[in-house]
Amino acid sequence: MDTTRIRELFERQVEAFTASREFAALESGRADYDAFVENVARAHLKSPQLVAFLYALAPPAAAPTLLGNLLEELGLEADSERPHPALLEDLLRAAGLGHRLPTIQAEAEDDIRRVVTDPLLYGTLREVGLAALTEIVAFEFMLSRVSGRIGRALAAHRGLPAPALEWFTHHSEVDVRHAEQGLADLGAYCAYYAFADDEALTIVEMTLRENVFARRYFRDFVAGAR
Amino acid sequence: MRLAGATLYALRIPFVEGFSHSATDRRWSDSVVVRVRDEAGVEGFGEGTPRPYVTGETVETMLDHLERALWPRVAGRELPPAGHLAGLAAFLPATHLAGALAPNAALAALELAILDCALRAVDLPMAAVLPPVRRRVVYSGVVTAGPIERAVQHARRMRAIGLSHVKIKVGFDDDVARVTAVREALGPEVSLRLDANGAWTLERAVDVLNALAPLGIASVEQPLPRGPVEDLARLRSATPVPVMVDESLVTEADAEALIEAKAADLFNVRVSKCGGLARSLAIAARAAAMGIGVQVGSQVGETAILAAAGRHLAAALPDVAFVEGSFGRLLLVEDVAVESVSFGHRGEAPLLTGPGLGIRVVEERLRRRAVSVKNLDTEG
Repeated sequence: MDTTRIRELFERQVEAFTASREFAALESGRADYDAFVENVARAHLKSPQLVAFLYALAPPAAAPTLLGNLLEELGLEADSERPHPALLEDLLRAAGLGHRLPTIQAEAEDDIRRVVTDPLLYGTLREVGLAALTEIVAFEFMLSRVSGRIGRALAAHRGLPAPALEWFTHHSEVDVRHAEQGLADLGAYCAYYAFADDEALTIVEMTLRENVFARRYFRDFVAGAR
Repeated sequence: MRLAGATLYALRIPFVEGFSHSATDRRWSDSVVVRVRDEAGVEGFGEGTPRPYVTGETVETMLDHLERALWPRVAGRELPPAGHLAGLAAFLPATHLAGALAPNAALAALELAILDCALRAVDLPMAAVLPPVRRRVVYSGVVTAGPIERAVQHARRMRAIGLSHVKIKVGFDDDVARVTAVREALGPEVSLRLDANGAWTLERAVDVLNALAPLGIASVEQPLPRGPVEDLARLRSATPVPVMVDESLVTEADAEALIEAKAADLFNVRVSKCGGLARSLAIAARAAAMGIGVQVGSQVGETAILAAAGRHLAAALPDVAFVEGSFGRLLLVEDVAVESVSFGHRGEAPLLTGPGLGIRVVEERLRRRAVSVKNLDTEG
């Protein structure tokens, strides 16, 4: 499947995210930085579980990269790496939010519980997997373009030191290759599970019908508000 | 136990994406939630969605009516018996609100809160007063207004999630092209209804409906503005498409007039619009007795509270042609209950079996999403 249209949708989402008044506030010293840091941690603390789910559904062509992603999330890809959730915990502690960790852990766990218990919109795991993969790759795509800006904003306006911002550094612009691989994985998934282009695009569009980045990072975000 | 206090929350919960039809364009919910508590501290929650173009209520007039007219009538009174749903209409008699057809959103919100509280006080589920006749409820999708390309995109989404009933908003210059495109996107098996929200004249309605009838249209909702019921009767005789009334059906008196004039094939009964469960049941029962079909409808932006009430109503009515609502977090960025009320694949949703309305409302979410909060006590 040609992923050009999916790339366009990702680009549009990133553009809307960075053009939002909330993002402008983040970069100009007017944001609630503690809330932002908590939201980022909540959004990604359980990423290893989500990537593991996607690895379980991965088609042969995408399985090696998804396994690589999973090992990276778990800090097992190289000796020097730390698990990504640990990097988020470092971020919280450095921001003086270590005491909030149990609450944020519980919220992240509840987010997973809700995903599992809410009625499924789709009839098979084939469609559920595509929706989940879309959201994960969308985040990789956005972070590869924006996480550097976010890290710089947190350093400048919240005074966080570089070691505390390693999670953002890890996902920063140098990770564009990772995001490109994600798009290729999406194409491989659609091909392997025999999605018609229209069918796949409908599910991708449905997943992205709200700005998933703003929804997770700015929880009170209203689309179109300026 | 006596009713000891109430809290009114005027909510504004953003939508995941905007929703529009010929009468309005909406980006967030505008509903009012009522929390009541009895002397023992047992709480109950109800909700109403005031719409100027439906009942004539606004958020402001609804809040005022609840505070000044309705709450004083029930404050300090013994809770009605939990098992006597019909008695609730007598417990909350009809009131008058200047400038409105009826203060039904306010009545619904208070009725549901009292019912929820009365049931929770004795740990009974809604099934105790409204026994279900089916094990699950099947919801319709709604294709919102906007460019035809967007309508087609929405229709494809409905097909992707396996919905078998879809409604499309009409009332625009391009209605025939719009419905034709949506029918093509949905395929022939999906039941397709139209909703004009009163946007057509009689002549326009006849023209559009006769042009679209070959596409297999299950019904047309509120084709004409609320007005003389004879116009609807004339339209019925001029088109093969079954006519459903919505804005024309707010009160039980409306129902009688529509029946008398043979002006409708279907009634759209909505809990908030019709003044609560007891009044909705009465209208639905009257319709059934006269061979008129019933749709259990909803207001766009309802939270889990009204969605739960609609679920119970739809599960209990012997014959339901269509059911709408229960979008939950498919539409709202956050809903107010622990339990998800959103429907799933094929529009199916299970019964809600917990005490009261069957959902647990998170008060902190109400406070966070409220633009105003007002506490009322028995002193008035």
